Amino acid sequence: MAGTQYNQLGSEPSSSLLSRARSLAVEHSKLSAHLADSFDGRVAKRVGELRPIANVLEEWDRANESITELNSLLDDPDTDPELKSLAIEDLETTKAALPTISENLKQALVPRHPFAALPCLLEIRPGAGGDEAGLFAFELLRMYTAFCSRRGFRSSIIKLEVGDGPAEDRLSEAVVEVEADGAYEILRTESGVHRVQRVPATETKGRTHTSAVSVMVLPSFPETGGSMDNALNFDDPNSDYYVDPQEVRSEKMRASGAGGQHVNKTESAIRLTHIPTGIVVSMQDSRSQHANRKKAWQILRARLAEARQEAREQELVELRRGVLGGVARMGRGDKIRTYNYGQSRCTDHRSGTTIHNLDDVLDGGEGLETIMESVRSWLVDQEVAALVADELAKDKKTARS
Amino acid sequence: MPRISNLAILRARQQNPLLPLLLRECRSQDSAKNELRWLQERASQSILRKQAARSTLAPLGWRRLLRSMCHTRSRGMPLQYILGDQPFGELDILCRKGVLIPRAETETFTIRTAKLILDNIQRHGHHEIGPQQRSFRIVDLCTGSGCIALLLHALLAPHLGQLSILGIDVSPVAIELANKNLTHNVQQGLLSNRAKAEISFQRGNVLANDDTKLLSAREVLRVYQGLPCDMEPECDVLISNPPYISPESFRDGTTSRSVRTFEPRLALVPPLRNSIIGLEVDRREDLFYYHIILLSFQVRTKLVVLECGDRSQARRVATILKTLSNSYRLDALSIEIWSSAGTFICDEVSSRNEPCAVVLHNWPGYSKGGF
Repeated sequence: MAGTQYNQLGSEPSSSLLSRARSLAVEHSKLSAHLADSFDGRVAKRVGELRPIANVLEEWDRANESITELNSLLDDPDTDPELKSLAIEDLETTKAALPTISENLKQALVPRHPFAALPCLLEIRPGAGGDEAGLFAFELLRMYTAFCSRRGFRSSIIKLEVGDGPAEDRLSEAVVEVEADGAYEILRTESGVHRVQRVPATETKGRTHTSAVSVMVLPSFPETGGSMDNALNFDDPNSDYYVDPQEVRSEKMRASGAGGQHVNKTESAIRLTHIPTGIVVSMQDSRSQHANRKKAWQILRARLAEARQEAREQELVELRRGVLGGVARMGRGDKIRTYNYGQSRCTDHRSGTTIHNLDDVLDGGEGLETIMESVRSWLVDQEVAALVADELAKDKKTARS
Repeated sequence: MPRISNLAILRARQQNPLLPLLLRECRSQDSAKNELRWLQERASQSILRKQAARSTLAPLGWRRLLRSMCHTRSRGMPLQYILGDQPFGELDILCRKGVLIPRAETETFTIRTAKLILDNIQRHGHHEIGPQQRSFRIVDLCTGSGCIALLLHALLAPHLGQLSILGIDVSPVAIELANKNLTHNVQQGLLSNRAKAEISFQRGNVLANDDTKLLSAREVLRVYQGLPCDMEPECDVLISNPPYISPESFRDGTTSRSVRTFEPRLALVPPLRNSIIGLEVDRREDLFYYHIILLSFQVRTKLVVLECGDRSQARRVATILKTLSNSYRLDALSIEIWSSAGTFICDEVSSRNEPCAVVLHNWPGYSKGGF
């Protein structure tokens, strides 16, 4: 058992990862020394971020030290045979602990996603496949609301648009707000294109159709930016996620003619357009214009933040590709999961996990949880690979100069 | 009103047989679909509540309830009277027949007023003006459902230590509903508990020399502040959305049928029995503004916000303001006109007949481009 785990994880973190950990640990000790002299909130925060890395690295070093020590003890011909047997025992336990420490080190090195602590918005939109895609979009909406209620997250549907037509169950767009802190981190595995393969209810000849629904997970910012830390404060012009109100055109739908006391209109639709990017959010679900405007801003902010984060990640990928070539990355346009009704299975294409109980997955049950968990560890592996690539790129650069 | 095309009716019918009914009032498919959804939500909610309470009164299923609601709506009954409420800012304002339904423009002006008050207090403080620390006093004339008074409290209370808001209306039905709204919003947690002590609604007459036995707004304010009759009451902010529709535009189709038939004329058109002869007013629809402005000078307000029907009315009100301030020898007045469009982009044609607000600043130290 230990052996298989050993192989799976690789005993040794690559030298580049280790060197990165070491430089961060040096930064940690330097900053904590600085902190002892004078307190600074920013520095304290950074120290808090670095502490786990420094701790795991220390653990790693200690384990390695004891291994060398024990080895030298064993090599020494003068060692007492009784002591030798004890040393062998110690050596085995220490070696067995190495993979866990190495894994911890990897985990600690992976940077936390900037939106990890935030609640999230979940957008569901049918893609290719016409009516059938709209029908399946509705089922995904049900799946995620069931998942949220099972996990005890408060969720509310803030936008629900059904397609034109006699039936009410063809979704054309839905936005669900999941209000739990950290929901973004949990649900971000769901961003991408979900594919369904089944015989649609509308099909008369019994043929299997394939259609797609796109799901997007966006960070949901609190109403006032002031309470956030600097990097995420969207009211602060220096923040990466700042949205300039001047760049947003806000329109309310309004019939021409007199207003005020003369008429009593119930139209409350609001449309926001972010002029530089052309992102449009329209909202008409609530009877209150005020509420619609607030929700529209929330969605606009979320979309912009996600787009900016995406652009940044893409930039990093380009950098890595320049050095190493062929670093794969799953974008939001990629097909990430298939729901096959005929075989009652659900397969995630990133982690390669297949669950043979589709009903449970669609009920937001354990099956879905298992798949999401597998994607999460896949994401960590991707991040580690990216870190290694970064370190290699850095090494190359220093070697060249 | 242009006829709805047969095609549009047919299309609506295909989606839901109830939609054509709503289309009669809504005029557009999107709006009709939204109203249908809101009615549907309310119908199923109220049926569920009745089932939970095991009421034997209404054995109607939600479908039947919804159908009867849609039929009522098709006869022009405002949606808010059918549903019984209307969101206003963060608040939920109950609506009853006989009291004006809060409008979106009023909401915009109220939120803007609250922002202006907070900005001014931050800049100048208000305590230094009074002899001792006292509460910040606001009067809302022609308060109707009480929406302006209540929303101002919701927006200002977190930032101001003490508030005193008085809503005055001539109609007993309105005062009753406004009080109901106060309790309702406190119960819902939308207003803080302070609101009960800090907001009061009382009957009073804004138009002077009326033959009714009702106290004038000034007297009501004096009694409310507990002053003897030789002392003039004071207030910091005076805000009002008075009846501003002229008898002509009430009849000629400018005012929609639904408003004309179902909302109280009392809240829309200034009464005919009050003469405007001898006042600085040219038109009947401006009657209320004259009296409100006069009152604002008497009680020395620092800020007056008056909603008007359109831009030309706003200009007339500004003229009344200037004439009256000259006769009162007040200077350093700054008059501003807010359009309800605010940050919205509107085409020229529609922005001319959109409601505006005339704002008079008399805040000590206030300086911002005059009129």
